[in-house]
Amino acid sequence: MTRVRVMGPRTRLADALATVQDVGVLHLTTTPEYPSLHRNALEAAQVRRRRQFTRILEDIDAVVGEAPDGRSGKPGAPACARWARLARRTRRALARLEERDARLREEHAMLLRFQGFFAVFESLGLERSRRPGFTAFHVVLRSDQREVLPGLVRALEQLLDGACETVTGELPGGETALLVLVPASEAARVERLLADTRVQEVPAPTGYGPGLVEALPRMRERAAAIPSELEAIGAERAELLARHAPELRRAMAALRDQLAQLEALPLTAVTSHVFVLDGWLPTGTEDRLSRALGGTCGGDVVIETLDTAGWQGEEVPVVLRNPRLFRPFELLTAMVPLPRYGTIDPTPYVAVTFPMFFGLMLGDAGYGLALALLALVLHRRSRPGTTLRAVAEVTGPCAVFAITFGVLFGEYFGDLGRRGLGLHPLWLDRGEAIVPFLLLTLSIGFVHVVLGLTLGVLAGARDHPRQALGRGISAGMIVLIVLALLAAVEVLPHAVLTPAVVALLIAFPVLIVLEGIVAAVELMSAIGHILSYARIMALGTASVMLAIVANRLGGAFGSALVGALFALLFHLVNFALGLFSPTIHALRLHYVEFFGTFYSPGGTRYQPLGHWSPPAARTA
Amino acid sequence: MSILWVTLSAALAIGIPALATAWAQSRIGPAAAASLAEKPQLATTVIILVAIPETMVILGFVVSILILLRAGTV
Repeated sequence: MTRVRVMGPRTRLADALATVQDVGVLHLTTTPEYPSLHRNALEAAQVRRRRQFTRILEDIDAVVGEAPDGRSGKPGAPACARWARLARRTRRALARLEERDARLREEHAMLLRFQGFFAVFESLGLERSRRPGFTAFHVVLRSDQREVLPGLVRALEQLLDGACETVTGELPGGETALLVLVPASEAARVERLLADTRVQEVPAPTGYGPGLVEALPRMRERAAAIPSELEAIGAERAELLARHAPELRRAMAALRDQLAQLEALPLTAVTSHVFVLDGWLPTGTEDRLSRALGGTCGGDVVIETLDTAGWQGEEVPVVLRNPRLFRPFELLTAMVPLPRYGTIDPTPYVAVTFPMFFGLMLGDAGYGLALALLALVLHRRSRPGTTLRAVAEVTGPCAVFAITFGVLFGEYFGDLGRRGLGLHPLWLDRGEAIVPFLLLTLSIGFVHVVLGLTLGVLAGARDHPRQALGRGISAGMIVLIVLALLAAVEVLPHAVLTPAVVALLIAFPVLIVLEGIVAAVELMSAIGHILSYARIMALGTASVMLAIVANRLGGAFGSALVGALFALLFHLVNFALGLFSPTIHALRLHYVEFFGTFYSPGGTRYQPLGHWSPPAARTA
Repeated sequence: MSILWVTLSAALAIGIPALATAWAQSRIGPAAAASLAEKPQLATTVIILVAIPETMVILGFVVSILILLRAGTV
């Protein structure tokens, strides 16, 4: 990165900012103030304009958020008043359509819900309900009220001396429909009786007629008509969006650009005649910006490269730039605060070790294949540059490692491959060789932590040589401890033991002198970090055991079909666990154990002043 | 040594760290949920923080396996 300062007459500030935005490489920082150079505050009119732009953008967001995706056009001069009117009008029209749509859907759902009731009452005989001089009561008895029915019919007959007619039918939900026909003169008494018995009379939905008899045919007609009305609303909405969305997208791009310029103004400093703006740009792009400023502002505006001495690492913006193969893994690095400028970007290391740790933990060719399929589906369904695409591209290598280790461990959905196809481990059996697997994972931990300490030495050698030397000695001591242990258990010749212990006894006081007593704690912590890699073995063993249990339990059922279904379900659960746990623990091994030895967080993201573009286009 | 003591030791070696992990996670969990309510972008950090105490139970598992292996019960 190169730090630059752009200066010119105050009257050319707007042109200079527009040019900087066109070039899109300068990350603006707050320009320092001097006695005659003060911070450029927004004027009242500019504040009003910013508020207006924000309001219009809210309206546009509400509209184009629903429109089919499309690229924004080149930003033109902001015809604010027209765009404000258009955005407001379109938003209101869409809101009205939404409201109608919601109302119709609600009505349709209500009609469909009542359809079952009505069909039963219809089957009980609507014609009888129309008998002159009679009133019909449509009653629904809940399933727990069924025993009330005989008593209710008896009470009705006693009340009216048998001058009533009752018909019952079963409703789909287990309730009972009861149609009661009584002389109109007795309606009030019957109504009281029903209320006393606490049974529910079905009210006819309002707006379809005075009673259920009249309402039923109208409701049926209405239920048939609503889908076409919904379609018409959908078409109207699509037409509205097709007509206005392109212009609103252009407005959105232009307004966001204007807003970015307004927000950049307070970062600049001015005297009564001159403006100054400071920023960072990628080394080698100074000429491009200089030529562009020369083209728009003539010789009035100059660009000056500032001295690189005295840079504060935290101030310099950072951009992660990795080869195409490693780039998806920037997603994992970006989950923690960015590394400071000039320190090590751990993405390439993560790209190699994350899928490897994941594969070691999952370690099953069957699950690996399922994961590869999942990665393929995600890849097909995502657009380049999106987070989903990066997830798919990280999942792919994880699946490859899971398949590879699955073949080496002889695991195909647990021991299914071994029992069914006679496939045997090419390297080790995780279910049996627990100690070798533990030693393997601890060895990986040793290599990973020592690699981290070595990177720490390289990263700190220039600015913090003492600390770097301390880290180097820590790494050396860890190697010596491992050598001594291996010699003690006679994996290495016994002659190695004494020199290793002597070297440790010499290195320890040197470490304490260099970094203080805290270095001893850090050394112990580094050894603890190596032991933490045992989780790879623990999760791997748990994963294979669960898969074996799924197969054994599946075989324990009398019916082959039930057993297969049970095993499938168990494998699905194990697969879900096998995705979640290894991901979390592989991430943790990187963020805590590996990054802890060298990573310097606190970098500022490089965000140059540029033209706005839709998210997919921005990251592609 | 009696099989009873070996299995009891192995059970304690994993059981006590499991309880300790559970206790630690029970303290981290509510704090994490409260942080997430205010800053959803902390999700990744929170997941990592919740996973950190699991080291104890994993080391307990390893020690437990080693006890069983040394005793020849596995």
